[in-house]
Amino acid sequence: MTENILEIRDLVVHYETDEGCVQAVNNINVIIGKKTILGLVGETGAGKTTTALSILNLVPNPPGIIKSGSIILNGVDVLKLPPKKMEEVRGNDVAMIFQDPMTALNPVMTIGEQIAESVMIHGERSKEKALNRAREMLEQVGIPASRSGDYPHQLSGGMRQRVVIAIALACNPKLLIADEPTTALDVTIQAQILELIKELNRKFDTSMLLITHDLGVIADVCDRVAVMYAGRIVEEGTLEEVFNDTLHPYTEGLFNSLPNLRKRGEELVPIKGMMPDPMNLPKGCAFAPRCPYTIDECTEAVPELKKIGSHLVACRRYEDKNFRLRRNS
Amino acid sequence: METATAKSAHPVYRSRGLASETMRRLKKNKGAIIGLIFMVLLVVVTIASGFIYDYEKDIIGQNISERFKAPGLEYPFGTDQVGRNIFARVIYGARFSLAISAGAVAIGLVVGIILGSIAGFYGGLVDDIIMRINDVLYAIPNIMIAVVIVSLLGTNTFNLLLALSVSATTTVSRVARASVMTIRGQEFIEAAYAIGVPTWKIILKHIVPNCLSPIIVQTTLLIGTTIIATSSLSFLGIGVPAPAPEWGAMLSEGRDYMRSAGYICVIPGFAIMLTVLALNLLGDGLRDALDPKLKK
Repeated sequence: MTENILEIRDLVVHYETDEGCVQAVNNINVIIGKKTILGLVGETGAGKTTTALSILNLVPNPPGIIKSGSIILNGVDVLKLPPKKMEEVRGNDVAMIFQDPMTALNPVMTIGEQIAESVMIHGERSKEKALNRAREMLEQVGIPASRSGDYPHQLSGGMRQRVVIAIALACNPKLLIADEPTTALDVTIQAQILELIKELNRKFDTSMLLITHDLGVIADVCDRVAVMYAGRIVEEGTLEEVFNDTLHPYTEGLFNSLPNLRKRGEELVPIKGMMPDPMNLPKGCAFAPRCPYTIDECTEAVPELKKIGSHLVACRRYEDKNFRLRRNS
Repeated sequence: METATAKSAHPVYRSRGLASETMRRLKKNKGAIIGLIFMVLLVVVTIASGFIYDYEKDIIGQNISERFKAPGLEYPFGTDQVGRNIFARVIYGARFSLAISAGAVAIGLVVGIILGSIAGFYGGLVDDIIMRINDVLYAIPNIMIAVVIVSLLGTNTFNLLLALSVSATTTVSRVARASVMTIRGQEFIEAAYAIGVPTWKIILKHIVPNCLSPIIVQTTLLIGTTIIATSSLSFLGIGVPAPAPEWGAMLSEGRDYMRSAGYICVIPGFAIMLTVLALNLLGDGLRDALDPKLKK
């Protein structure tokens, strides 16, 4: 129990709009242990960000409603906390790195002040000390402390993302949520930021939830991987298990659509079709309409996440003992 | 500035505030500097005039033998129909226009920012109530509102200030609401929530400071329009009571002598025009200087 920093159980989040009910997150379970980095992969609209915002209890309401489930963060169910207590949890127990460093910083405050603000909210009384701590944090993320008086517009995108990371880490959160931290950056800066995230993760002993749609980022940083599709987790396991012993057809589809260094010249196979409309999910497996292995039973009921072989997968085809993905056979 | 940072061996915390940054960029705009210098001069001269002239004797004291003297060496701006020194009256009169406008705009700023940010931040019913009342007030010409308020409460300087502040409030709260609404949805506000900043602090520290630029610009322009409104009301006889040397009142008194001694009218008119022009130039320059997209 205390071993796990985060336990999400049976979380259901819907957005109730005028057009209908968007089923963003449907019954997912996520567990993150101490010092582990869990990668959450999925395409746009799979419910990754909604999951992250739920952990902070910041799902925009209305229209977002957390229907059911519990999120136990460091032994406390954050969904049951009163708003005042929740403010204390944010930043102390969990902090978030946002996707776009261009807009995640306040343009009229110096970066030093912004980091100091985070420090001061979480216990530091003296502004002087908070600013000193801010300078330390800047050095930690690789920005000279002398730039703490700069405004965000004076920094490049990569440096701003470093500042965003510094703000998130300033109060030593136990869990760090990184929502596509490298998407808005170019490739060389991406590599630097990932390196920084890994290094800080070791140094500060934080657990991390890394949200991305980039399998390369996952391979680089994560210990465990959860693949999300249409608001459900379809496959979950350690990095090696998921990457080397892929079980779910969707995960296989993701890998097939990536170029392979060893087999240059090979044609890429995209996943056919589109993700189902989250307002109108199919009755059975959400991936069935696009899945090359679909059989009639797939469309009947939603498959459960079950342990098949080494790790968890939600696919009914494994009821057949001899079923293998093409990639593995 | 980059090189200065690089050269310093010891990292020093150095913050260039919004004010100095804006000032630096304002200096590049000639019009704005002219406007600023004019306004500073006007304020200094007005304050000085209080020490140079005796209100009873020089400003409102009549001197029939000296009436209708054209502008010349003795009286730079001439004398009016009862022999008062127009130069003294104009520079002394600036205090009425400036103080009333500044006061009305200041009240408008405080109330307008509070109402505007509440409406913009919370939205929904609160927004509807505040903004619909605002719309009603906005739909009535501000001179009209002022006339009604002043005639209801009585003609004195305080009521005039109150009346003018109503229209200032409607303008400021609209601008504030619009900017709060754009800032509210930005990611850094979400980020502030995510590190646990309480809501009131988010409004005060993150949202309102980001809305200040358009409000500052609006303020300079608003002071200009309020000066005109003050003068208009005095011209109509319900502003600053006679014989105080308010510019609009001077204009009004002088209009009977338009043909024989036009300067009696023209000079206070010029004073109003130049002051408003200076404020507009300044406001225009501030708009450019405060635009974060033009930051270098």
